Amino acid sequence: MILRPILLAASLVCTAAGATGSVESQYDTLGINPARAKFNYQMLCQGCHIPSGEGGRGVPNMKDQVGYFLHLPAGREYLVRVPGSANSALNDERLTELLNWTLLEFGGRSLAADWQPYTTADVTAARQQPLYEVIEHRRLLADALREQGYPLTD
Amino acid sequence: MNLLDKLFEKSARRVAQNSSRRGMLKALGAAMVGGATIPLLPVARAADGAAEAPMRPGEVGDPTSCDYWRYCAVDGFLCECCGGSVNTCPPGTEMSTITWIGTCRNPVDGRSYVISYNDCCGTTQCGTCLCQRDEGDRPIYRADKSNDVNWCLGSKSSIYHCSTAIVVGMAFEE
Repeated sequence: MILRPILLAASLVCTAAGATGSVESQYDTLGINPARAKFNYQMLCQGCHIPSGEGGRGVPNMKDQVGYFLHLPAGREYLVRVPGSANSALNDERLTELLNWTLLEFGGRSLAADWQPYTTADVTAARQQPLYEVIEHRRLLADALREQGYPLTD
Repeated sequence: MNLLDKLFEKSARRVAQNSSRRGMLKALGAAMVGGATIPLLPVARAADGAAEAPMRPGEVGDPTSCDYWRYCAVDGFLCECCGGSVNTCPPGTEMSTITWIGTCRNPVDGRSYVISYNDCCGTTQCGTCLCQRDEGDRPIYRADKSNDVNWCLGSKSSIYHCSTAIVVGMAFEE
């Protein structure tokens, strides 16, 4: 009777450790400094997107969602062209780091195993075309992604 | 053998005399109901989901004073003076999910921490302990760095009551 909860707790700990390990190895591969990226997220995004990335009341949910945008070239550019990214006070290198960190942190099941991280060149290019009609643009992208079978919410 | 019998008899009698037959049920019931009630207390709920509190920085100073270290960027009434605390909203108000975020230096360890100034919303302005230190405040055209924005827009009611100052992380220093 006592053993069962202990085993359950142990298995939960193992699962968590496994997941963290793989994300951490991706941080290394991509040259992400997670402490710096998280700080930039907190200072520039978290105020509206909230600590869990779920947003709310007019702020889009990124949790288990944000990775779907990478399935379309226009969606990939969209994450760079939204005002919070394109107009941010970060330089292109830091913005690239923050976007890749955001995808790893909040992408969850929406992030494909073979996803292509942003390069600084991607970000530099897309950032030159900031979006003005953001809400309409997102709606069109979401419709296109849902047509392809990706369960993007509003 | 006789000795063992006596020993067991004595201990069995002692248990029978000192405990009631339903005592176990009573203790178990109290623990279950008590344990289930703790998360229902308003203090525990108010802090829920607002922000993770990853560390406890050293504390010094008076949270009812504008000079308290976490208030370096505050613009509003202190919840600490309004029936809440530096981390929690007063009863009857709702914590805004969207929030103004800044950094303040902690005088105890000299390090900067990320502070989330979650507003408490839903009842009229508290009116006591007005503080305007505004460090890092930017004009409204940088809306995410402006504390003049009504952050209660993220709540059910957009009526502003008071401000909290929750530590949500450590500042990254290059």
